[in-house]
Amino acid sequence: MSKQHKDKAREFLQNDSYATWHDQTFWGVRAKRDTMAGNLPEWETLREKASQIKRHTLSHLDRYLDEFSRNAERNGAVVHWASDAAEFNETVLGILKGHGVRKMVKSKSMLTEECEMNPFLEAHGIEVVETDLGERIIQLGRQKPSHIVMPAIHLNHDDVGELFEREGISHEKGNHDPVFLTQQARLSLRHEFLSAGAGMTGANFGVASTGDVVVCTNEGNADMSTSCPKLHIVAMGLEKLVPDYDCLAVFQRLLARSGTGQPTTTYTSHFRKARPGAAPMHIILVDNGRSTWLSDPEHWECLKCIRCGACMNTCPVYRRSGGYSYSYFIPGPIGVNLGMLRSPKEHAGNVAACTLCQSCQEVCPVKVNLAGQIYRWRQQLPAFGKANPTKRVLSDGMKMVFSHPLLYKTATGVLKPFHSRFKKLEK
Amino acid sequence: MSTREEILARCRSSIRERYAMPSLDDINPITWDDPVKQFRQALENAGGKAVEVPSGSDLGEVIKGLFPQAVSFAGNPGEIPAVNIDPDTVEDVSRMESLDVGIVRGETGVAENACVWVPQTMKEKAMCFICEHLVILLPKSRIVNNMHEAYRRISFTGYGYGCFISGPSKTADIAQVLVMGAQAARSLTVLLLPE
Ligand code: SF4
Repeated sequence: MSKQHKDKAREFLQNDSYATWHDQTFWGVRAKRDTMAGNLPEWETLREKASQIKRHTLSHLDRYLDEFSRNAERNGAVVHWASDAAEFNETVLGILKGHGVRKMVKSKSMLTEECEMNPFLEAHGIEVVETDLGERIIQLGRQKPSHIVMPAIHLNHDDVGELFEREGISHEKGNHDPVFLTQQARLSLRHEFLSAGAGMTGANFGVASTGDVVVCTNEGNADMSTSCPKLHIVAMGLEKLVPDYDCLAVFQRLLARSGTGQPTTTYTSHFRKARPGAAPMHIILVDNGRSTWLSDPEHWECLKCIRCGACMNTCPVYRRSGGYSYSYFIPGPIGVNLGMLRSPKEHAGNVAACTLCQSCQEVCPVKVNLAGQIYRWRQQLPAFGKANPTKRVLSDGMKMVFSHPLLYKTATGVLKPFHSRFKKLEK
Repeated sequence: MSTREEILARCRSSIRERYAMPSLDDINPITWDDPVKQFRQALENAGGKAVEVPSGSDLGEVIKGLFPQAVSFAGNPGEIPAVNIDPDTVEDVSRMESLDVGIVRGETGVAENACVWVPQTMKEKAMCFICEHLVILLPKSRIVNNMHEAYRRISFTGYGYGCFISGPSKTADIAQVLVMGAQAARSLTVLLLPE
């Protein structure tokens, strides 16, 4: 049996100074998010609207997918549909082959990670170059992301410096200054942008009423990836749709404030069609389980997620165990839940990685009830043959508390003084 | 059945309850007495710089004065006489690889976060990202309070691309240290134009 979360967390905690840095860094990001939230009197209204818009959109997904794809086609884009990862990967390969592409640059996309697209394309002789700096670093180090927004957070500047020296990106031995290293990566990526045959982006949002694909980055790498090569491919999960610009404004305001504590990302790029002289833009709409998860009465709201990362930044378990302690490629509260939707057999171990403190759902910009869902997965564990007898007793106790509102109130009331103590300690 | 039809059918059979669209009229988004002042502050926080241009100034001179070392300037030659690269006629994007300054017109500025809507107005939009320094021209009167107002105003040209830009390209991917100039422009100057 593979190692459980607690075993990997123990290994993570061996390096005391790093573990402390990791914990404090993410708590710092959480604090920045709080400042952003505090600056907007309408913050809680925005979260509530975002949650309701997502509920509405997901429960009319058939209609919005149809509308989005028609508008995108009217704009001149080619829309493809993929039921699963294999169909997605084949579609990408087909488009690339059709254009004789040997090298593709790409901006960050968790969906391509989910579909394991890079190894598939590489096996077919296509070079894929990640252009988000964090993604590029872990690609060079042949690693996986340890956070969905800050994928290389598990490495320090010495790790990156040595990696760049090994890979020929940096030629000044021992200079591990982040400014210098970022500059070296910039120079090396410039060459990649200008020599690639195609650029791929993910999508933060797809706007049904206009057919826009919206991509949010701080580095500008999505724009570089699409304004240099002559072919743009978009990888987009079905759940990324929003009805129109009025709705998009709500999410645009929430995304960066929640995730990194910035009032916006540097670039919010809207793509409707290819630039002059380029091949038509291709959009691949990917299901890969999503349409089935919609039918799960307990867990469908995970599809509301806009992948901001706030729930992992605040999670006391994530902060003290790191992304690699989870078996699913997305860590933290949302990753625990998405892993269970994907495969309870493989990822049931992760549901232990939660204290039910509910901090995650306090900060989630679209109000996914993350801890509530993890609690429910625990109840369902016996059905997967995964329950741990000692935990069972505890869990039955929690069930009683959760299902009796008065008891729950008393229990949290009792916890409150401790909770504020915790808050002080965290700072 | 095509994959499209299969996916739509699966969605239809999975959806259990259809939720109504909420009204967005009661958000009461934040506004400022002086949106221009707030815009300048937000831009500074994002690592950019705002420069007020007095009426009657020669824009070309203003821009050259801001970048005394720069050699190459790209932008619409009809608008800025000082430019020596035209993104409409440049034969290949790689010709702009060492571009010093790109100059482009912004359509709407947003006070809450210093976003400026830049619709594509040139053949090679790479100019806005590949340049070392980006200059956006924005009439002061085009600054709105928040993204709700902005999304009601923005427009596209036939190029079918536009971008909200707030500050220079940045990253903190190496050990969480903030560095300006990741893959795109290292600096952003917004020239606030009088009417
Ligand atoms: S579940 Fe919520 S907080 Fe977590 S990544 Fe998704 S949107 Fe962000």
